[in-house]
Amino acid sequence: MSCVEPVAVIGAGNWGSTLAHLIGENGFPVRLWSRDEAQVREIESTRQNPRAMLGLTLSERVHADADMARAVSGASVVILVVPAQAMREVTCQLGDALSTEQIVVHASKGLELRSNKRMSQIIAEETCAKRIGVIAGPNIAAEIGAGSPAGTVVASRFPEVVHRTKRLLASNRFMVFAGSDVIGVELCGALKNVVAIAAGMATAMNVGENAFALLVTRGLAEITAIAASFGATPGTLAGLAGVGDLMVTCRSKHSRNHRVGEALARGDSLEEAVRAIGMVAEGVTTAIAARELAEQRQIRTPLLEQVHRVLYGGLSPSAALEELLRMPTGRDVAWS
Amino acid sequence: MRAQFFAGVINADEDRMIPGHEIAAEAKRRILVRVRAAAAAGTPLTQTLGGTVYHERQRLSRGAAHGERAREDRAFVDHLHRALAQQSEPVDQLLTKVVERYADEIEGRFSHSVYRFSTTILPFGVTALLNGTTPAMALPRLPELTELSDRLVLSGAIERLSKLSTLGTVVLAPTHVSNLDSLLLGYAIHKLGLPPFIYGAGLNLFESRVLGFFMRHLGAYSVDRGKSDPLYKATLKEYATIALERGQHGLFFPGGARSRSFALERRLKRGLLGTTLTAFRNRLITQPDAPGVFIFPVTLSYPLVLEGHSLIEEFLGRAGRERYLQPAHDEPDRVGRWVGFLRHLLALDLDVHMRIGAPLDPFGCDVNADGHSLDPRGRVINAAGYLRSGGEIVAETARDHAYTELLEQALVRAYQRDNVVLGTWLVAYVAIEILRRKLATDDVFNLLRQLPPGTTIARGEVVSGLKEAHQQVTTLAASGGLALSEALTADPNALLERALRSFSSYHDVPVITARGAELVVGDPRLLYFYRNRLDGYGLMGAPSLLPLEAHELR
Repeated sequence: MSCVEPVAVIGAGNWGSTLAHLIGENGFPVRLWSRDEAQVREIESTRQNPRAMLGLTLSERVHADADMARAVSGASVVILVVPAQAMREVTCQLGDALSTEQIVVHASKGLELRSNKRMSQIIAEETCAKRIGVIAGPNIAAEIGAGSPAGTVVASRFPEVVHRTKRLLASNRFMVFAGSDVIGVELCGALKNVVAIAAGMATAMNVGENAFALLVTRGLAEITAIAASFGATPGTLAGLAGVGDLMVTCRSKHSRNHRVGEALARGDSLEEAVRAIGMVAEGVTTAIAARELAEQRQIRTPLLEQVHRVLYGGLSPSAALEELLRMPTGRDVAWS
Repeated sequence: MRAQFFAGVINADEDRMIPGHEIAAEAKRRILVRVRAAAAAGTPLTQTLGGTVYHERQRLSRGAAHGERAREDRAFVDHLHRALAQQSEPVDQLLTKVVERYADEIEGRFSHSVYRFSTTILPFGVTALLNGTTPAMALPRLPELTELSDRLVLSGAIERLSKLSTLGTVVLAPTHVSNLDSLLLGYAIHKLGLPPFIYGAGLNLFESRVLGFFMRHLGAYSVDRGKSDPLYKATLKEYATIALERGQHGLFFPGGARSRSFALERRLKRGLLGTTLTAFRNRLITQPDAPGVFIFPVTLSYPLVLEGHSLIEEFLGRAGRERYLQPAHDEPDRVGRWVGFLRHLLALDLDVHMRIGAPLDPFGCDVNADGHSLDPRGRVINAAGYLRSGGEIVAETARDHAYTELLEQALVRAYQRDNVVLGTWLVAYVAIEILRRKLATDDVFNLLRQLPPGTTIARGEVVSGLKEAHQQVTTLAASGGLALSEALTADPNALLERALRSFSSYHDVPVITARGAELVVGDPRLLYFYRNRLDGYGLMGAPSLLPLEAHELR
């Protein structure tokens, strides 16, 4: 192995642990940071991470650590995999430990509540990192951990970031594609979770395959319009981080956001639905950001708006669907 | 700080000025090495020179290429073409000739006829003002121009500019709207006691009757924006890089040209901007103890703009194409016009503000008073690390381009922040916004079509609009969103009166004047021009009225 410099993965949740495992299996030493010391001890002694609901035995090259400065020191690449609403706090801490030589990549799909900032913007505001990238795609951690084939996209304005991250992650079970549209990949990754909630509701309501396709496609058109208004390349939405991620998250029973939608359609309250998942469903908070971004750019997003009203406005999923079907229609694809 | 003309200390550190011919010779050497290496790697020299013939022919076929220089260039390109086709001269010799020609032109060696013409017509005082190395004793000979010093308000990071100019290479990156900018910057450099700065100026300015002579004296090198030959661009960038790399302070207008709309620059020329990073990387090797390259954003705020009329006509003509019929215009390039303009500034008691912004490194990071780069939270960082890959400092074009984009964004933010709001702009902004609302349009061409000269607005509406806008700029300034001058009064009536006086005096047609309880728009296009300096802040909830609005910054 030509590169023996360690890699730091910040966040030992289920996707962070899976990424750490993949990198370890590729022969690179990995420091997996968690603030939870008990979790660190458990990983170190058993190679298991049950707190992250991961049935996987972690690579021998993965070492857990609760000390961020130690985990990050000397790492060539730092991968952040923390919930979107924890990104500010974690990067604030990371800022003290990071040096200008290090590359930072994140794999978090969400926007910061209130500021509506993307994760790469937060990293750039809190740390010295400039070579920043994002990983996103149809990546259900449980499947990847079980060795099923999958693919992802790494996007950065810096080709070096893409190249080095690809080297860490790519294997004959995990295809890594390159991109440069950071805004597009981040906004796809975040906003598609709101569409996934709608898809979950549609699944539980048995609306039929045609209506399901209608909802998901309209959702894609809406998130594309928002992303393009912020400078994303619309074509990015046709890639793994867009359509790819949307397909899996709108179909898969593994998707947390999909499960939230299903629970709501079954009559659960938002609190009950979220509690039942036990992990963060980013779409629940991203729905607020999506609404504000659309308003800011004066973009009509009926589907995203209805999801917001179901989550926070007391509207029932069936009433939301009925209203949606009665709304006036415009062009099919309007952003081109 | 209001500049006091005789209080300044002249820094006689003229040794700091590296002779242009040395820089040009080194630029030529490096370009030849690079092109020959590319030839060895598979890009034949004939292909490179074929590109020169193609790009130069394209340029010379355009209407703008005329005069003695264009004739010489045509003859040279014809010769090059023939020699390539007939293989009558060794290709490497032809390459050397092309690069030498470019390097000589950039250095500023011109035909004697142009040179003689410039020197005989120029008033000494203008030269003196522009030349940071001229002894102060020479200046009182031109009293009305020396009074200009009282009208130039310098503010911002002046101390840091002086200090960092001793710790590394300083690059001034000003906004650009008038040919007077170079005069004021040259004066400020002189006033602050800084060593002379090297300066990239449009080739057309070298041919200008007024400007040509002192451009050379300021240490200017020429930039021909019409030339698209990659070999020329490479030579130009190399010239700028070498100067900075050797510690020669520099001055770029990163917008590339004067802002025709008067809006603040939102897109910058990254090619020239990127030379700061290349120079920094080279200095890490040659001067590892003090590799710093410090970029100072500078905003120039004029209450009235010398070339306002011709600039806005050109802008609307370009932006509107068939939607805008462009009247013939005349660029003021006469000494009389310049002096007249300066006298107006003096008579009206108007200040020009020059604000030196906080310094940046080539990666867009803030720099502290000791020349250390800072992260966004103010921690000292080692900027050299950004150029390391696997522990080594490496050159990588795509990466460096991405870094330069970050510098560009930081400069654009600084321009917005350091823009010193002036009364004439506020009045123009408020008047246009009131008219826009009445005509219910967001489209500037639609707006101007419906605004014939003589259009009236109720004075009371403008006064209450001014009250609102003043409050908003004050709030914005409090959070660092823009800058205010002390002279900007909160009394809307006084503010309006003063702006009307200014608008009535300099331009051929008063931009806007009072008639009883009404205000009469005399020149709607100039009114639009002056409001554009405040575009993009969302004052009064107005949308942007710039038809060529830059993309959202990434």
